[in-house]
Amino acid sequence: MSERSIIDQLDDAVAALAEARQPDLKSLGSELSALVGVAQDLVGLPREAFKADLQQQLIRSNSMSSSAPQPQTNPVRSMSLYICVANASAAIDFYREAFGAKELWRLVEPGGKIGHAEIQIGNTSLMLSDEYPDYNTLSPETIGGSPVKIHLDVTDVDSFAEHAIKAGATLVRPIADQFYGDRSGQLADPFGYTWIVSTHIKDVPVEEMQKEMDKWAQEESAKKSYEAGINEPKMRRENRHAVTPYITVHKPAELIDFVTQSFGAIEHFRATGSAGGMHAEVSIGDSIVMIGGAEHIEPMPTAIHLYVPDVDEAYERAVKAGAKSLMPVVDQPYGERSGGVEDAEGNRWYIATTTVPLKTIAQDLHTVTVYFHPIGAQRFIDFVTDAFGGKELMRHAEGDMIMHAKVQIGDSVIELGEARYPTQPLPTAIYLYVNDVDAMYEQALKAGGTSMLAPTDQAFGDRNAWVKDPFDNVWYIAAPVKR
Amino acid sequence: MTQATESEERLLIEAAQNDPSRFAELYEQNFHRVYAYVARRVRDRAEIQDLTAQVFHQALANLGKFKWRGSPFAAWLYRIAANAIADQARHKVRESADEPNLSSDSSTATDLEEVERRARLFSAVDKLPEDQRRVIVMRFADEKSIREIAGELQRSEGAVKQLQFRALENLRNRLIEKK
Repeated sequence: MSERSIIDQLDDAVAALAEARQPDLKSLGSELSALVGVAQDLVGLPREAFKADLQQQLIRSNSMSSSAPQPQTNPVRSMSLYICVANASAAIDFYREAFGAKELWRLVEPGGKIGHAEIQIGNTSLMLSDEYPDYNTLSPETIGGSPVKIHLDVTDVDSFAEHAIKAGATLVRPIADQFYGDRSGQLADPFGYTWIVSTHIKDVPVEEMQKEMDKWAQEESAKKSYEAGINEPKMRRENRHAVTPYITVHKPAELIDFVTQSFGAIEHFRATGSAGGMHAEVSIGDSIVMIGGAEHIEPMPTAIHLYVPDVDEAYERAVKAGAKSLMPVVDQPYGERSGGVEDAEGNRWYIATTTVPLKTIAQDLHTVTVYFHPIGAQRFIDFVTDAFGGKELMRHAEGDMIMHAKVQIGDSVIELGEARYPTQPLPTAIYLYVNDVDAMYEQALKAGGTSMLAPTDQAFGDRNAWVKDPFDNVWYIAAPVKR
Repeated sequence: MTQATESEERLLIEAAQNDPSRFAELYEQNFHRVYAYVARRVRDRAEIQDLTAQVFHQALANLGKFKWRGSPFAAWLYRIAANAIADQARHKVRESADEPNLSSDSSTATDLEEVERRARLFSAVDKLPEDQRRVIVMRFADEKSIREIAGELQRSEGAVKQLQFRALENLRNRLIEKK
């Protein structure tokens, strides 16, 4: 009997077993019968997937049935993330609500401070603690942001993000299909960390990804040289206008979309700010506008006098993009054609096109001019004069009431008019670039400002101090950190 | 299956009692025993899987109550398994109103020997050369035909049959060595 036929005979017997028939053992030799016996015992061999799945189930039920507080971690990984947050207990609550985290265990100081905690998100555990400045364990809130982003794989990124935003996360980058085969976006948590949330859709070979990357880099560099061409040298921090509006809203990403669609704004960057919201900068014409905020941050909308090349077109686009009209576009007696809209976040845009060059209206007038409606316009002019060395350029008054005035601060001009409607005082935030933060801060306090933050070197490269004026506007007095 | 010595097994149990994540090792040591035990009494694969899962979930939940009395951990698992099988049989009887055929603990010594032998065989499959192991797993666990396996592995049917033959030879030799 050749070996081939033995092999076939054995397979005949195995096939019979598989069909639950009794194999014909009589014709087989004792050697072969023994092998059929082995095969018989193998019928019903457990499936590998079942064994592995059951093990997974047991591990999961393990971490859930933590009736007795016991240190529990996932199977040991070589690398784990250890983050520091300003309020670890609140952060754990947030991660539970927003990301479905499970708390595994925590070590607490008598005062309630969390020295160490571990939570599980998906199949991975995350370690975290409160701040320990003595051990150089500092939170993003203290150091002004985090350079580390956390990548989180989820099964359905859209519904995950929707849920997380409802729980208080801020959308920093919208969820979109990415060239590397993920559908992903970025969320900022209220504690200063950015989470890249992602669902893998398809595998993309590395070469293909690199091709897309090259394309992107090319587009990026084209965009940069274009921006540099129209904005040079305004792009550099030291050349920014002295008065830069800082618009704080609940939904900064939507506002960026709005100014892009309506006024052709160009976004330069967006990041997670120190308070856990978004911080972004866009330019409109020759000016930079800072946009930030989050659902958990008190909004501070702004009124802006915006000079555009074609007011009718800009007005129309703004209304199309969802703004409501405050006043239709008409020719004004003072040399400009203008109209007004209010965007969904409550910012008021007085859009205008002048019939004469801007510079003839005021030497330092820029595309973007912040418009204040204080109660007590004269006192406001006095304050900015005393606090920031403002110079009044013009005023138009009816009796005692200042209807419209221009005040120069540094290389910028602000405009104001007495509040005439209850909704008009719209206290806002202004980023004010100066030469000497400390001196200007002292001067502003003497002039009647209230300190919100003494001069501090920030991790993002500015030394700044925050002062609230008597009209509730917040001035971020800033200069690059001296090295 | 490498038989853990009594003291090794005791250490494993204590480790798992203190830290449930160490249960994985006990699971690894005993999975095939429990599966083989259940498979000796139940035919249907889905049922065998359900019962095996039940046994381990119960074992994990009650691990703290396990006290070392000199009998192996597997004996404790077999008892859980016997109860689970009996419960299921009773349940079925209630559903079908058939005459129950329950012997509370039918595990005779030969019975358990058979179970251990089969468990050793299942574990031995994991130690086969990879190409042989794959053929055995596909043929007996995944219940595929020689033709299907040949297609998936991109080998000829003759080559697959030969791998099956070698694998069974290997397994028989290993079992003989063990004895």
